[in-house]
Amino acid sequence: MTLPITTTSDEAEPVAQNEFLRGVKKSVPMMIGFVPFGLVLGAQASAKGLSPVEVSLLTGINFAGGSEFAAIGLWTSPPHLLLLAGVTLLINSRHILMGATLAPFLRRFPRSKALMALALMCDETWALTLSDAREREKRGLFPSLTLPFYFGVAICLWLTWIVSTAIGAVIGPALGDITRYGFDMAFPAVFLVLLRGMWTGVRAARPWMVSGIAAAAVYLLVPGAWYVPAGAVSGVLAAWMWSEET
Amino acid sequence: MSVHLSTFLAILLMGAATYSTRLIGYALLGNRELSPRAKRVMDAAPGCVLISVIAPHFVSGGPADLAALVITAIAATRLSLLPTIVIGVASAGLLRLL
Repeated sequence: MTLPITTTSDEAEPVAQNEFLRGVKKSVPMMIGFVPFGLVLGAQASAKGLSPVEVSLLTGINFAGGSEFAAIGLWTSPPHLLLLAGVTLLINSRHILMGATLAPFLRRFPRSKALMALALMCDETWALTLSDAREREKRGLFPSLTLPFYFGVAICLWLTWIVSTAIGAVIGPALGDITRYGFDMAFPAVFLVLLRGMWTGVRAARPWMVSGIAAAAVYLLVPGAWYVPAGAVSGVLAAWMWSEET
Repeated sequence: MSVHLSTFLAILLMGAATYSTRLIGYALLGNRELSPRAKRVMDAAPGCVLISVIAPHFVSGGPADLAALVITAIAATRLSLLPTIVIGVASAGLLRLL
């Protein structure tokens, strides 16, 4: 393993603090999006017989909302271990691609810290930090990604998720489906803003269209969560084919 | 407030499955230098994942949801994150009431 390149020690500390706070601030809009979903997931889990402690363990250890909703939907007593693990693996297979896109930025850090960072990588942490890192890279700022920034985003979202799902499990049945009131639009809103940030023209966005169409088609035709890997892989294959031209 | 052994096992297995997906991409790429072509593909990949995750929103809702999504998408092209979320949530909430 090579030594990580670090900033000089006398300026490292204030930079680290600022970067952590910058990450915290960056995560605030996303935290608002997390809460209603956390409440609903917690409520659904308690309806399936999970205690608030068990819900917190699930959302804290697994920390991947899509797979948790699916798992709670499939939950039996006692739970079917292989089914749950298999479905989780399938739904979260997109993380493989996400981890690969973060790898160039994580390379600068000691492996143990990179592994810790990856443990807290959810869609939103990944999307926020990657778009921020790429933007800083474009503006010539170094380093483009810092660990304090990453953990500022990641820890805030992680805690928000654990706490909101636990509260959902406690107040459970009294709640009803509050995502009906429009809160479910928070996620597409966030993702669309992030896509805008990654936009570099129609030509470069052609693989996205392939992904979108493939994912929508698979979603309509195939039950389950296959639409995510199907859409992502179709787009990447299209990008691979189109990248030959240039 | 109890934790059942079978539940805990299920949670650990799910956590292990999820963590493995987080590691594989990083581990495969490791410290390898990417070819220019692979780099171009990796540039497109994040958008492919993002759009795949939200694709069901475009085809699963009624007219109210679709209209709210269009409004949100337009907002996303001009505004920053927080106003876009507010507009998205408000338009979905209001249009569904109609």
